[in-house]
Amino acid sequence: MFKHDRISAIRSELEAIAGRGNVRTDEAEILMYSYDSGMARARPEVVINFTSADQVAPAVKVLYGAGIPFLPRLAGTNLSGGTIPLKGGAILNLSRLKKIRQIDTAARLALVEPGVVNLELQKALEPFGFFYAPDPSSQKVSTIGGNIGENAGGPLCLKYGVTSDNVEKLEVVTPEGEVKLWSYRDRGPDLMSVMIGSEGTLGIVIRAWLKILPLPSQLRTASAAFPSLESAMEAVTRIIGAGILPRALEAMDKVSMDAALGKANAFPEGTEAVLIIELDGSDKAAIDTELETVRGICAANDCATFKVAGDEAERTLLWAARKGAYPAMARLAPDVLVEDGVVPRPLLPEALKETRAIISKYKLTAGLLFHAGDGNLHPNIIFDRRDIQEVKRVKKAGYEILKSCINLGGTISGEHGIGVEKRVAMNWLYGRAELDFFQGIKRAFDPAGLANPDKILPVATELAAGEPGSKAFGSASAGREASSVFSGRSALSPSARGILDELRLRSAAGTLTAVTGLGTRLKPEHIHKIKGAENTRQLKLRPLSGRSEIDKGNLTARAEAGLSFEDFGRQLREAGLYIDLPLLKGSVGGLIVSKICPDLRGHLLGLEVALADGTLLELGGKTVKNVAGYDAIRLFCGSLGTYGVILAATFALSAGQAPAKPRFEENPDWDVFEPDTIHRRLKKEFDPRNLLNPWVYKGPL
Amino acid sequence: MNDEKLAGGEERIKTAREPDREQPPAPAHHFHCEVNELYHPEDAGRHLGALLTDLGERNLYDAAAQCNRCGYCETSCPTYMLTGRETISARGRNQFVRMLVEGRAKNIADAEESLSTCLLCGACSSACYAKVPTPDIVLEGRRALTGYGENFFARAAVAGLLNAPRLFAFWLKLAYLAKKTGLPRLAARMGLYDFLGMPGLAEAESSVENTPLRFASELLRKDAELRPEGRRQAGWAYFAPCGPNYLFTEVALATVRVLKKSSGAGVFIDNQCCGLMAHNYGRLEDAREFARRNIARYEELKAELGEFPVIADCSSCAAFMKSYEQLFTSDEAWRPRAAAFAAAVKDILEFIPPGKAGHAAPAAAAKAGRVTYHDSCRACHGQGIRVEPRAVLRKLAGKQYRELPESDWCCGGAGAFAFTQPELSRQVLDRKLRNIASVQADTVVVGATSCLAQINSGLRAAYPSARAVHYSVFLDEVTREK
Repeated sequence: MFKHDRISAIRSELEAIAGRGNVRTDEAEILMYSYDSGMARARPEVVINFTSADQVAPAVKVLYGAGIPFLPRLAGTNLSGGTIPLKGGAILNLSRLKKIRQIDTAARLALVEPGVVNLELQKALEPFGFFYAPDPSSQKVSTIGGNIGENAGGPLCLKYGVTSDNVEKLEVVTPEGEVKLWSYRDRGPDLMSVMIGSEGTLGIVIRAWLKILPLPSQLRTASAAFPSLESAMEAVTRIIGAGILPRALEAMDKVSMDAALGKANAFPEGTEAVLIIELDGSDKAAIDTELETVRGICAANDCATFKVAGDEAERTLLWAARKGAYPAMARLAPDVLVEDGVVPRPLLPEALKETRAIISKYKLTAGLLFHAGDGNLHPNIIFDRRDIQEVKRVKKAGYEILKSCINLGGTISGEHGIGVEKRVAMNWLYGRAELDFFQGIKRAFDPAGLANPDKILPVATELAAGEPGSKAFGSASAGREASSVFSGRSALSPSARGILDELRLRSAAGTLTAVTGLGTRLKPEHIHKIKGAENTRQLKLRPLSGRSEIDKGNLTARAEAGLSFEDFGRQLREAGLYIDLPLLKGSVGGLIVSKICPDLRGHLLGLEVALADGTLLELGGKTVKNVAGYDAIRLFCGSLGTYGVILAATFALSAGQAPAKPRFEENPDWDVFEPDTIHRRLKKEFDPRNLLNPWVYKGPL
Repeated sequence: MNDEKLAGGEERIKTAREPDREQPPAPAHHFHCEVNELYHPEDAGRHLGALLTDLGERNLYDAAAQCNRCGYCETSCPTYMLTGRETISARGRNQFVRMLVEGRAKNIADAEESLSTCLLCGACSSACYAKVPTPDIVLEGRRALTGYGENFFARAAVAGLLNAPRLFAFWLKLAYLAKKTGLPRLAARMGLYDFLGMPGLAEAESSVENTPLRFASELLRKDAELRPEGRRQAGWAYFAPCGPNYLFTEVALATVRVLKKSSGAGVFIDNQCCGLMAHNYGRLEDAREFARRNIARYEELKAELGEFPVIADCSSCAAFMKSYEQLFTSDEAWRPRAAAFAAAVKDILEFIPPGKAGHAAPAAAAKAGRVTYHDSCRACHGQGIRVEPRAVLRKLAGKQYRELPESDWCCGGAGAFAFTQPELSRQVLDRKLRNIASVQADTVVVGATSCLAQINSGLRAAYPSARAVHYSVFLDEVTREK
């Protein structure tokens, strides 16, 4: 396929690193690494089977030197073509790196290699009374490395967060072959979190320190059968609205149940949807009360039967049905397209209605699965790829479903990633500014463009197909109420628009700017004493403190950057809501950029940012899950105001009374930061003239 | 693993060989492949007409295409788990055959490693929701490999067993004698096994301590109680598979004793080889001939004795005979006869209910020590037998029974696999041995003779305080007073 054999020249070097039999270019190996669980196909030029994590960096160095693209691959169960080598090159097969190196129950960490199968880790943790929260349905076969690459979720992420929230530290081989150790707690912009969900385009994880949690002492698993998916969805909204946070809240429709359960389907006649609700906790009385509340809500929504699993076997059977619903589609047809759209949870019934209409419009069959608590939909559309007409219809339907999610203020992927198959949809979700920003991140990590090239971000031809500037994520289409959903510049407050204009002027004049908030940490009167800040002009964010916009149904709130976190908390409290964080001092924006409390990142769903030249970025939105593009939101955590000026942030909330929290002990050295090469390159991408808080990046960028 | 869980999975697994007739035969997405790049139409006789899958009768292409590449089989595939290579994984093998049929893979020779490393254990099909019959698909692929099944030795063995079983037995005994007379490895070196076309047997035999000089069929023919002549009915008919017949005579004799004790009077069917070896060596026409002869023999007895179950004590053979119908999908005359025969076949593992298994004698039970059960692949994956033997063993061994971790992980014996892929086979076996050691078992009960040879050879080297015994032998010994 490749006219020029690029591999022979470096073959001996690679063999010296990975061992003779582990560098393979035979036709069989090439063919077998040209597919994954998705639809895309492309042939690699070489497959390198690693037997030790320490072989990866030297091999990457060799490939980098030779200018040959590469991508890491594990179980190959990717659903969006992420592991397909679009530009040939090398497949770095890490599946044999599957040692669990350490389980530290005191520190609540597990050190694992990327090839460890998710379920194997769970089995290893169980005897110690611990578990690792992300539990993608593919956990029987998918690996930790793959889970990190895709930022996998799973039923339990409703309560415990996605992969990104459950990783402490990563050892990464950069696309240039350097080995780095990154934690989200590190000073400065959070590079670890950007790695997670980057689908191998920014580097290769070779070791991961994962957060592990004690198994809950109380567990209740119930199934509820409903006569319609709509009534099931209504029940979901009510359950969450009642302040109950189940560890899992899953929904599946009749097609999925029939496929997964077959003759074992014992739900009553006329059941169109089933909810699986799992509650956990340590207080038996409290959990039983919650279970009764849930039972009552289900009953009020036409639930036909509500059955609590009596023992572990019944529970296992329920979960086997849920987690088997996707592979079981193979019984119905030889191919399946799994979509992965997310919408704000209250809009699930709406999204469902549209999805069904699209599927019937294209005369297709689909099993519907939902991480209902997260607003994450998985229509499994079945087809036979040998029927070319049908494939076309499936692709069209898939794209329409994504567009409908976008129109509802949602996103195109909650946990499966963008890969190559949803690349074009990035155009519909983001505007040119955001896509350029993502490209900047890619260039900073991978200047040579060799790490899993042409993934995630639209390529030139696809960009033309998009509508630049149509910042759809969060923007509601005409006729739909858009009271608190932001939508481009017009949705910004006058003071925020003022800041955009001010930055544009200063950028044109080359004025150095010191961004200041409420003066909690960075005292305006002290700025001139900072070395490198002598010639700066202040940009005060204090006026950015309009009332927060609270969406009670979706449990999210948007606050402007200058709003004090205490005032924000007070406004939430009045609405019966809270953010599950310690008591923090300072402005919303200041807390994000100073990374005083690293756990804040877990509650951050969206950011509106002004770059140094006054470009507006809208990142994330109102959905609790979003893996479309790089996790740029977390990149701003700890950015010390150097990458851009945060205008507003959207947070995930909890319903009910905030539990009493101790005062937070701040680290006085919050601004001590030694930038990494990649930090510098990022700065160069976003603010090449070092206009914002110039003292942080001393010397040439 | 607990019983409930097993019982839960049982229903589904059991249907592996019984296509669901109520469902519409094929969904709308059914394509007939006009061009089959795997083999020429004139070679069709060497291939199966159709595969009888869990989803109905499918041609090879449709059966392979049913795989939607979800990959959920990968972690159950022993060769993938050991090597981490897609190329030698269940999904990879399926995709390879599909690509060959579609012409996207050009050269069948490229598939040699992928196809030849398959253990045919079927763990992938058990894990698969669509029950894609990967072992059958792999065998179809192998049959398309140039020269597969055509080499002199494979032909000689199958021809010997088919046309002159007694002569075959004579040569085999000669080979055994060469060993017994102390000439070290002379038999193997003489190439006698190769001559007999059973290179795998040379390996198996070296892992068997005592080779018999009287084969089971010879002994059973002499047993007057087992003769069908002059009888009107039989509670069972014993089918002697090649393993118990030629290598593990004591297994065959134990099975007959157990059957007599538990199920009353029965007969010895005086069968031919079931044809599995010919089938797996790529000689499908010969396998069909074996099948026809056994079916005819069965029908002959049925005319005299009425309905009776055919009991085999090697799970590989039992599973294969249960799939006889698949050999004759293009043969209208034989297909129903094969189906009727297949329906009568029972593995000894599933035949004896706990109530009829007798009671353990304390001394014998003490001698057996801690007991565990290894799921032979063709029992659990091939026939869905998991619960029945455990129920009996739990009753007989009581508190001394231990559940084996990863009990359905293949032992690596897999017919001639141990011979053709020694390195992989050893790694597969190592994992089995570690699991046996982890429960500190003294007795490992198995249901197939290749597992018996393979596990025992491993135990002798690595864990000599334990031994593997066949299910029938265990039942026979443990219930024997004194």
